[in-house]
Amino acid sequence: MAVAASHAIEKDEVAVVGLGLPQVGALLAKLTHAPSAVLLLEIGVAESMPTESAMGIADPRLWRDARAFCGMIDVLGHLLHGGRVTLGILGALQVDVTGSINSTLVTQEDGTTRRFNGSSGANDIASLAGRVMVVMRHDPRKFKRQVDFLTSPGASVDGKPRRDSGLQGRGTSTIVTDRAVIAVGPEGLRLQSVHPGEDPERVAAETPVPLDLGGVTESAPPTREELALIREKLDPGRWYTA
Amino acid sequence: MPSKLVSLTDAVAGVEDGSHVALGGFAITRCVVAAVHELVRAEKRDLLVSQVVGGMDTDLLVGSGCVRKLVYSGGSLDRFGSLHAVNHATLSGALDVEEYSSLALTFRFHAAALGLPFLPTRSMLGSNLLEELVERDGDVRLERDPFTGQPVVVLAPLRPDVAFVHVDVADEDGYAVVSGPTWSIRETAMAARRTIVLAEKVVPAGTLPPNAVTILGPSVTAVVHAPFAAHPTAVVGHYDYDRAHLELYAAAAREGAEAYARYLDEYVRGVSSHEEYLERAGVVV
Repeated sequence: MAVAASHAIEKDEVAVVGLGLPQVGALLAKLTHAPSAVLLLEIGVAESMPTESAMGIADPRLWRDARAFCGMIDVLGHLLHGGRVTLGILGALQVDVTGSINSTLVTQEDGTTRRFNGSSGANDIASLAGRVMVVMRHDPRKFKRQVDFLTSPGASVDGKPRRDSGLQGRGTSTIVTDRAVIAVGPEGLRLQSVHPGEDPERVAAETPVPLDLGGVTESAPPTREELALIREKLDPGRWYTA
Repeated sequence: MPSKLVSLTDAVAGVEDGSHVALGGFAITRCVVAAVHELVRAEKRDLLVSQVVGGMDTDLLVGSGCVRKLVYSGGSLDRFGSLHAVNHATLSGALDVEEYSSLALTFRFHAAALGLPFLPTRSMLGSNLLEELVERDGDVRLERDPFTGQPVVVLAPLRPDVAFVHVDVADEDGYAVVSGPTWSIRETAMAARRTIVLAEKVVPAGTLPPNAVTILGPSVTAVVHAPFAAHPTAVVGHYDYDRAHLELYAAAAREGAEAYARYLDEYVRGVSSHEEYLERAGVVV
């Protein structure tokens, strides 16, 4: 999943990266095919390169070797709201068929509610970045026709183009999971590629929202170098990767 | 000018029940734990607490029953866990939660700091966050850009009565340095009517390197010299988070009322000062 996320990052990207697996994917891209990518943390860190697994955005281990420290108003304001961020990378509790993200609460089968971490900068990133990549486990409960709470808008809002709502950028363009890469388009979700060993029909059958299978390919497998970087440098504690 | 240096007890004594208190922490870093402990010991009630990204300081204050309303953009203890006390109080209805995106809430503090009537933003458009905020019919509105006619979110300024923020070093006039990332500490500190900085170190007036200053003296009401004020959360360049203590706290918060009350008795209510807390928590100062 981290490798597939890394492959979706272009070489001159300016990206705001959410906590957890998005970090591993983004840092892997920076260490391999996208050394000039600029990776930003909403807390106010530009282009850091951690040397050990970090507990999250607020763990100073994640800020090692930064090129600049600043504030939220710099990263989310001057760069993101100012239109200079090309990519946001976010986790999600749930996504819908437009790539809208829920990171706030889940309504359980018995009708009770469980609350999670909420938006923090995720809504800002989804509202304002050039495009957004969602990275999450391929759990059927996470794919919804309509999310339980719309924390961050996707590629369209109420069936209308984002621009009509006043939003900036394209919204969610890609959902990367541990089984597949899914493209978000005006007609809904399209299975772009499945990871080695996965069958497209089976992935579609086990995903409870419609997936277009036209033109599906196989994701590039992880290289030895990528695996070594993840295991030795980016996530030695195996907190985020298998 | 007389020195702004005061004791933690005196700084907290000026906080009135029912007032709006902003806290400067972020998840597990630079949380104003020493101030929160003192607020709990002083039995403050019905506080409105605001914090851009919720951290251990806010969770502790909510869990202690001092807070009636929370204005934030979500938060966590990173991988140590959720803000269990906040989430529990929200679901039980004991806590009124007003939830933003991080930038929108930072803009509200920024508007107050600048003395502006409002700030517009394109954040939160088309989201349930905006829908719930607009329904409150208060400080957030969906309007039209007067120049382009496009939809735009309009945010009222947010001015706390008191802000507590943690800094590396302050001089006696309140000029203060925050090293590493500063998230919304500047906006929070400069928005409040009264701002109290908790400083790891205090130096004589006028001796800080001018380029390093993060918070300006005229915005600061009082300076508290409080080494390890953020313990068990991390302060880059000074101390790491205390992993064992954060795990202990998160477990107590997850387990429920009894375990949480035992934690408070042991580390907050059962000690008389920040120094005694540090001793009990095994911190060698």
